[in-house]
Amino acid sequence: MEYIAQQMMNALSFGAEYALLALGLAIVFSIMGLVNFAHGEIIAVGGYTMVAMTSLALSNPLIVIGVAVIAATFASVTLERVAFRPVRYADPTTGLLTAFGVSIVLQNLFLLLVSPRPIAVTSLYFLEWPIDLGSIRISSLQLFETITTIAVIIAMTLFLRRTVLGLAMRAAALDFEMVRLTGIRANRVFAAAFMISGLLAGIACVFIMARRGSVDPHLGFDPVLKAFVACVVGGFGSLPGAVLGGFLLGAIEVAMLVMLPQSLGGMTDAFVFGIVAMLLIWRPEGILTPRREKGDKQ
Amino acid sequence: MLHIENLKVFHGPIEAVRGISFSVKEGQCVSLLGPNGAGKTSTISAITGVAKSTGTITLKNDDLTKLPVESRICKGIALSPEGRRVFANLSVEENLRLGGAHQKEGLADCIAEWFDTFPILGERRDQAAGTLSGGEQQMLAIARALMAEPHILLLDEPSLGLAPKIVTQIFKMIGALKDKGMTILLVEQNATQALRLSDYAYLLNNGRIVAEGTAETLGSNDTLMAELTGLT
Amino acid sequence: MTLSRSQKRGLVGASLLALILIGIGLVASYFGSRYQLRIVYGAYVNLMVVLALQVFMGNARITNLSHSAFMGIGAYVAAICVTPVAMKAISLPNAPWGLSTFALDPITSALIALFLTGLFAVLVGLFIVRLSGTGATIVSLALLVIVHSIFLYRTDIFKGNQAFFGIPQVFTLTSAVTLAVLMVFVVRGFRESCWGIALRASADDEVGAASMGVNFFRLRLIAWVLSGILLGVAGIAYAYYLGTISARPFYFNHVFLTLAMLILGGMRTVTGAVLGTFLISFGLEWVRWLETGPEVLGIDLPEVLGLSGVTLGAVIVLTMALRPGGIMGDREIEELVLKK
Repeated sequence: MEYIAQQMMNALSFGAEYALLALGLAIVFSIMGLVNFAHGEIIAVGGYTMVAMTSLALSNPLIVIGVAVIAATFASVTLERVAFRPVRYADPTTGLLTAFGVSIVLQNLFLLLVSPRPIAVTSLYFLEWPIDLGSIRISSLQLFETITTIAVIIAMTLFLRRTVLGLAMRAAALDFEMVRLTGIRANRVFAAAFMISGLLAGIACVFIMARRGSVDPHLGFDPVLKAFVACVVGGFGSLPGAVLGGFLLGAIEVAMLVMLPQSLGGMTDAFVFGIVAMLLIWRPEGILTPRREKGDKQ
Repeated sequence: MLHIENLKVFHGPIEAVRGISFSVKEGQCVSLLGPNGAGKTSTISAITGVAKSTGTITLKNDDLTKLPVESRICKGIALSPEGRRVFANLSVEENLRLGGAHQKEGLADCIAEWFDTFPILGERRDQAAGTLSGGEQQMLAIARALMAEPHILLLDEPSLGLAPKIVTQIFKMIGALKDKGMTILLVEQNATQALRLSDYAYLLNNGRIVAEGTAETLGSNDTLMAELTGLT
Repeated sequence: MTLSRSQKRGLVGASLLALILIGIGLVASYFGSRYQLRIVYGAYVNLMVVLALQVFMGNARITNLSHSAFMGIGAYVAAICVTPVAMKAISLPNAPWGLSTFALDPITSALIALFLTGLFAVLVGLFIVRLSGTGATIVSLALLVIVHSIFLYRTDIFKGNQAFFGIPQVFTLTSAVTLAVLMVFVVRGFRESCWGIALRASADDEVGAASMGVNFFRLRLIAWVLSGILLGVAGIAYAYYLGTISARPFYFNHVFLTLAMLILGGMRTVTGAVLGTFLISFGLEWVRWLETGPEVLGIDLPEVLGLSGVTLGAVIVLTMALRPGGIMGDREIEELVLKK
């Protein structure tokens, strides 16, 4: 019984992190149809910022976290301005390939300008300590992650429902041109989307760093892949779908880890992807996709 | 109010509008009539800035030609586009809120006003706009446009795809707007209804203005009317 | 059989490209050092991959990310079949299903490899072609990861990241050039065939195509399978020259590299594929030379590891931003020579 509860806690915290990552991708995709493969590198920017602060002998954890999140947000908005604006209204393939290109450039810039080797980041170790809930042992980090993700989801829901910019972003997902025709500046909508995306990446970065303890140029690859898969499963472009996909992916991963015999351990990734592929074949548009309403001029 | 000079609109290599000139005076209701493909919607797109064009477009002595879409809207243009294009995933109220986005105060009052004028919209205020009927969506599209308190209202094919009874309702509504002094540029295929409302009308064909005049002049031109309405 | 006008032009274009390819091959054979020969061979193998990619991406207008996986399948199957028993005893001591007990001649091995790769392409293609553009790309990504994981995992068959050595090196630059030239004709031929034209017309408007008839899926499938088989050929060419293969080259880095080549040249044309491949192959070598911090005009340049990656990424980003159609855009080479 405790084992199941333990694994469910694992699934929850894995899922929370994937949901966070997936939301970062989904918010950009829902508005501009761009799969931002460089999202992982935004996370890495956060990580390298932490390194920079350590070298400046700033180890106050709140400062470290705060600056890293700000750096990630700033990097994301800058990327939009510099790299993605020219392909803003282009077809999805162009955007996708541009994002790939940006991702490679950034990864290699890290390699070039910092170091090809992993660099340790120890200022966040304090976040992790074991907590005993009855007979289950969980990590405090898991708890933080789950709570933070829930808080983020609530905050985003409020933003998207109550603020004009949030409404504009939701509307833009279906008809961007019409949003412009109500006088709302396209630049503002895009910047807001990338800002939120960067913020989410920064928050995710904090948890990833706390767990990994080090940053290297290819840090972003795994998270963005997971985020991508989560979005796909939940329905690309749907924000609730991203959350659902994230938690589902966490559950599938933990299930695979638990159920696969030892001998097949190395194949977890392949199995997870296999399940995802099958899910896609069953529901090619993802589980929850934004429906195209009739009567809208596309 | 709105002055168009030698407007040319290209869709790739195709010239959709071949140099037309017209104007809309304050308080007037002007119609652009013509068959499918005449260039009416292209003209509207050029005015809003969605389509690239050459020529001059002036609104109240402001030259709009170099401005992007959003700036032109903020200068006082509002559009109820072809196909209505309400934000289907947002509620009726949220649609109106977006329409009045660049209005700082009094948003809630403005919305309440519209719900009084169109009780149906009020009834459906929290409903997703995509679930409204065609006529209701058209009302919403116009109300959304008017939330911005524009200088001029562009209406692109408001009767498209609607039942005749609803069409009459919509045109009554547009008539009421005109009586309140709203400047309107109306694009329509339904010439009879449009002419009833308009002070002046231009007939487009193949990207050029082939006829113009007051509603009476055009209306009494039987051959023209036959062409436009398909009746003899 | 009478050829349509575009098919005749296609023949001219393919022939021009063939001449260029043969020319480069000859120059390299006579004047190139052993090291340079390897690089040129690599360029030709990449050309085959890019051509195969062009068949699908250029005509169906869908981004495919799994091509390196297909290349790997072709390479590995051929390698397993062709490697002499004595070699296999050392490199694959634990091979199941009696894989280490036989060795076939290169041609039979190649045919088996192509058959299996084609079969795999058909099976996967049946699902992929039904998905939307982005959906297909995502599944192709999943494919890449899955195939790679299998390569890594079943080390008893594939040896994972370790070198699978002992493959008889039966190919030379001439073989590669010949294959590449043949491929140019095949790919160009497909582009101008009724399938290719129909596919390109419907790729621009998925909804319109769907309302035109079911055959749209069949067209995509044909392009996909053809692409898969050509990738298998590339993989075989790779294995038969190098003599050793491992799982690493058949993953993301190679995907990006070949994608960049196709994008730079222009994915809509065969000429674009050729141009992009050679520009990047030779350009990258030059950048790699710069990376090592060589001496230029008496100045010792610093080591700049990662410069090649930055250049590659920058190439993709700049091309997408400034010239999304690639250098060639929609034009094939014969348009520079013939009058319309």
